Amino acid sequence: MRVLGIESSCDETAIALINKEGDQIVVEKKFLASQVKTHAVYGGVVPEVAAREHADLVFTLLQQSGISRDGSDVDVIAVTAGPGLIPALRVGVELGKSLAWAWKPGGAGSGFAGKPLVAVNHLEGHIYSVWLTKEMNVPQFPALCLLVSGGHTELILMKTHGVYELIGMTRDDAAGEAFDKVAKLLKLGYPGGPEISRAASKGNPTAINFPRPMLDSKDFDFSFSGLKTAVRICVESQQGHSVEDIAASFQAAVVETLVTKTLRAVSEYHPASVILAGGVAANSSLRASLQQVLSHQNETVTFHAPDLSLTGDNAVMIAVAGAFRAEKEEFVDPLTLIADANLSLVK
Amino acid sequence: MSMQYRSNTPEQTKKIAAEVAQTLKAGDVLFLEGNLGSGKTTFVQGLVEAFRYDGPVRSPTFAIMNVYPTSHPTIQKIVHVDLYRLADASELRTLALEECLEDPNALVIVEWPHLLEPLIKKPYTKITFAFLENEARLLTIEKYP
Repeated sequence: MRVLGIESSCDETAIALINKEGDQIVVEKKFLASQVKTHAVYGGVVPEVAAREHADLVFTLLQQSGISRDGSDVDVIAVTAGPGLIPALRVGVELGKSLAWAWKPGGAGSGFAGKPLVAVNHLEGHIYSVWLTKEMNVPQFPALCLLVSGGHTELILMKTHGVYELIGMTRDDAAGEAFDKVAKLLKLGYPGGPEISRAASKGNPTAINFPRPMLDSKDFDFSFSGLKTAVRICVESQQGHSVEDIAASFQAAVVETLVTKTLRAVSEYHPASVILAGGVAANSSLRASLQQVLSHQNETVTFHAPDLSLTGDNAVMIAVAGAFRAEKEEFVDPLTLIADANLSLVK
Repeated sequence: MSMQYRSNTPEQTKKIAAEVAQTLKAGDVLFLEGNLGSGKTTFVQGLVEAFRYDGPVRSPTFAIMNVYPTSHPTIQKIVHVDLYRLADASELRTLALEECLEDPNALVIVEWPHLLEPLIKKPYTKITFAFLENEARLLTIEKYP
């Protein structure tokens, strides 16, 4: 089954074509509309190069991808329906609906007049990014997922394909947002994650004892706003700490908080697998710590993190999640699908 | 005319926000100005809680816009905007902010509003968050024009 994935939930507009035959998933094409290089001069992501502006880019993207004009090499269209920024989401959702409306059906889902369309939750897409590991080492259920990105910090229990329970989330700032804002406080570049990580590798993670917010709370929620403020106070107080030491100590606080809460959720929910996904999953310290601590605590729990190229927002993960939905024939009607800024993962 | 409040803790910032909430009506626009960690999102949390919205109120820095539906008879939704990541005013048009600003049933709250402020065509209230000693904050509330 060939699935065209379309993702435009915030800054990135992307398309991808995957082919899923049984358990075998092959990425055939992938294209991103925005590039980190374009963003670097601003010290922040520029929504202009994404969002509504990308409405002008989608057909160029399709053309450059080499996907057939009549959709004959596509069986199913998968599109991110939310959550996200409405003007940005609409770009992808309307494209998906138009193609589903215009293209003739292929093999799968041929009961529909047009090309079968599936709606994918953006968070679900991130989770499915780990189904693309080369070793065919896929998660077992139930799977506990730590989703960490610029906009999300969530602990999600995945009971089986498409069935989720939200067990914890950030109450203020996302972990990735904290990385970006601390990078700006330290006058490091954008994106903040890799810059903090690089500076941290040369610093002492125990130099400053930054707060580990909500570490002792009994729930599985997070809070990173206070940590950001603690770093600001530290920078402004000019106590003579090096940028490297501040970065390392900040990163240590974030990693310890995320790892400790995840481990506690493992003890509570006894998952067969733990999934780390989202842009912050590219952080090598977080990847290594979580994997190491998990293998120490419980050798039977398997650990899964996406290929580094799939940690950020991308359309490949949307296509993969869409393929699993299509297998269950969870198609949506292009006449009624609308982008939903607050789309919930839990039905 | 301006009013000032002193807040010593995030909890006090939320209480001040709940007081401010009592003075607001549908169609109002609030601008929140202040540096990183000065309490803007905390203020919005307190304000939205006062409208009995019990879902999460989180920083919209990445999402740019969060919408909280309320059960209030006239302020039916609170639109929480954060323009921190915008580099210039030309990017505003990608956000369809005018749809929210013209919605008679919405209360619009904008963090990092400096790019929008010269362009807005309706009255607004600006709250400035300044740092005082010992991590206290000074909140200054002014109406424009």
